[in-house]
Amino acid sequence: MGTSAIAELTAEFEEPFRVLGRDAARDRDAVVISWPSVPVEIIRAAGLRPVIARSGAEPTPAADAVLEPELFPSRLHQLVEAALTGRLAHVAAIVLPRTSDPDYKCFLYLRELVRRGVVGALPPVLLFDLLQSGAAEVPRYDAARTGQLLASLAHISQRHPTDDDLRAAIGAAKRARAAARRVDALRRSEPRLGGLEALPLLGAFWHLAPERYAALADAAADAIAARAPLAGPRAMLAGVPVDSNALHAAVESQGAIVVTEISPFGAAAAGDDVDDAPDPITAIAERYRRSSIDARTPAAVLEGRIESVLPGVDVVVISLPRNDASFGWDYPRLRRLLERRSLPHTLLDVDPGRAIAAADLRRIAALVGASARAEARRG
Amino acid sequence: MAEKQLESTARATAFQKTWFGELRRRVFDERDAYALVQADVPFELFDLLDIPAVSNQWWSSLVAAKRQARAFLDAMSADGLPEQLCRYCSLGFATTRYSGAGEAPWGGLPPPRLLCARLTCDCVHRVFSLWAEALGAELFEIDHPGATELPPRWWELGRHRSRELVEPHRLEFVAATLERLVEKLEAISGRRLDRAALRARLERVNQQEEIFDEARKLIASAPVTPVRMTEQIANVMATQWVRGTDWALAHAEHFRDEIARRVDDGVAAYADERRRLMWVGAGLWHDTDFYTAFEESHGAVFVWSMYLAFGPDGYIRYGFDDPIEALASRTASFNEYLHNPPWAAEWIVEQAREHRIDAALVLHPRSMKPSATGRRFIERALEEAGIPALPIEADVVDARAWDPATTRAAVRAFLDERVPL
Repeated sequence: MGTSAIAELTAEFEEPFRVLGRDAARDRDAVVISWPSVPVEIIRAAGLRPVIARSGAEPTPAADAVLEPELFPSRLHQLVEAALTGRLAHVAAIVLPRTSDPDYKCFLYLRELVRRGVVGALPPVLLFDLLQSGAAEVPRYDAARTGQLLASLAHISQRHPTDDDLRAAIGAAKRARAAARRVDALRRSEPRLGGLEALPLLGAFWHLAPERYAALADAAADAIAARAPLAGPRAMLAGVPVDSNALHAAVESQGAIVVTEISPFGAAAAGDDVDDAPDPITAIAERYRRSSIDARTPAAVLEGRIESVLPGVDVVVISLPRNDASFGWDYPRLRRLLERRSLPHTLLDVDPGRAIAAADLRRIAALVGASARAEARRG
Repeated sequence: MAEKQLESTARATAFQKTWFGELRRRVFDERDAYALVQADVPFELFDLLDIPAVSNQWWSSLVAAKRQARAFLDAMSADGLPEQLCRYCSLGFATTRYSGAGEAPWGGLPPPRLLCARLTCDCVHRVFSLWAEALGAELFEIDHPGATELPPRWWELGRHRSRELVEPHRLEFVAATLERLVEKLEAISGRRLDRAALRARLERVNQQEEIFDEARKLIASAPVTPVRMTEQIANVMATQWVRGTDWALAHAEHFRDEIARRVDDGVAAYADERRRLMWVGAGLWHDTDFYTAFEESHGAVFVWSMYLAFGPDGYIRYGFDDPIEALASRTASFNEYLHNPPWAAEWIVEQAREHRIDAALVLHPRSMKPSATGRRFIERALEEAGIPALPIEADVVDARAWDPATTRAAVRAFLDERVPL
């Protein structure tokens, strides 16, 4: 089952957003979300299925006419393109989280495009107003917004989950997260799978029904565990979180193995479990506030995550696309941290919606080559 | 630089000089406890608790005016901070973090007791966290919940029906945060906030903005523009920093009355006015001559910017018993009013019609992400209203990529082509 599990997980990561618009009946239970800081437990408890808009190389002419250049990431261009070209006409809802300003602005844009009649048929467009600052008022606010999201989705699906339904969704996600952690563990110390392959296996967590994901990820982990360890410098991807494995492909084409990334689609797909708190809504809100990785995630939280994985890393590739307004501020501090650890790094401005530039490939090659030579000297 | 035409402008300049001098004495010489804040926080709370508040934007404009911006911006780049990151909010940080790169006014900012910022753009938390660390001071963040209900004609709802404008959960959230800010400021100052005094101050802010509203209407309805946009800004900003004080009210009245006299006397800011322009976005602080550059060649006069108009439309709040709620109601949606659809576009079109605008120049400051979004909605709405719009790509404090000659040529070509006489 291992090979077929890997194939199915990969397809479930890659396909759900791409195939929207082809089958209206299949689309009806899909909730399109722009970033995985929208709780999938809530979506599933409402009887719906999350589909995440992801970056891609497909042209987005309709979206490009609406979105100002260099402000919105590729995934939002893809989302708006899908909305403007009718591909989202039959989905249950579109939900954008407040965890980045571009997502919030995209919410306002979509609402305005509907109001002005620029786009005809769109499902309800919702904002999940999850705040992440440390303010004392935030946890209560987030819990209320999470409850509101559940109410909105339940209204759409006409399925009104009880607290027990929510606990069941939390429990199922917990089992799926445990399986994702098994897969992720196989990337560490002596990696048995590269990042190019791993990212879809982990990212499929967000799309698949948790029971199915757990079964497939466990089967994939069993198969991968029997493989021989991979050789090559161990790389981490940092900067703006990736939502595709294009950068992994570029890094691994130069001989390194991407063993981790600061991204909810990769190493953090499993992330933390939702606590077994008495109030499931509060517990879900708390989990997503603490664990979501996006542009408004507090700098100290991200730094802690990076520090925790550095011991298993030989090189770091940092990508800061032109639309970044946030992660770039962390770069000088990250650079100093890496220098203290004697970890080489390279800085790129890779846009996941475009092919990797030759100059970026050369930088990666130089980084990997230097690391390999240093390793050889160390014997 | 164009000559100053209003006595009010000279008064505003003199007041600011005195005010800056007092601020400088307290903050730089006597090292009083002070706060370093973003321009959109409620200054009234700081003032009533006698904590001098230095605005990040004011400090940045001072650095730019001393022609030191480039040195600090270059230092940021040399440290690896990518060029696309916001320079408007971070120039002040750069004067602290890279203090050796240039000569900040008065030797640079001393450590404040508190930094305070609204988390509007994604960068604000980052910039202010780094700045707080560099200064060894505490940061107080006012988070920014997103608006989901955006009813039409916000500027009309805001005055009497702002509970329909700001959703209850957002109002409650921001008010709770401001209550915590009050506690923090009380701890710093060792005094209790006089809520009656705050209520009275907000009533006086309402009065001041009503006067500005009258000034705006005078400018809009006059046959020719009586006050250049740059002088409008100078008078409004000097007043807004100290809004609701005795001086602010008196100055607003003097400004309005002087405009009224000029209108009565038929005095024009530029005698041969043939085209009326609006500027959409923050001011181009490093090249304010830009705003008079098309008068002689095209009779094109800048009539409108957001600075005068936003006072009455964004600040007036009637009918709140709780002054903290009134402040929260004003603060909660600042950015949505000014930048985002649908609110920014419909307001700007309304303003353009009221001011009989012939064409608009719309700032696209790519590094200032919040101000750079919503631009296309604004331009489209203006064009649909029959008002030609020209995008202007520029940063408001970073002149390194600004080419004044090329941009002026583009504006002249736009006026020739799109705004023929």
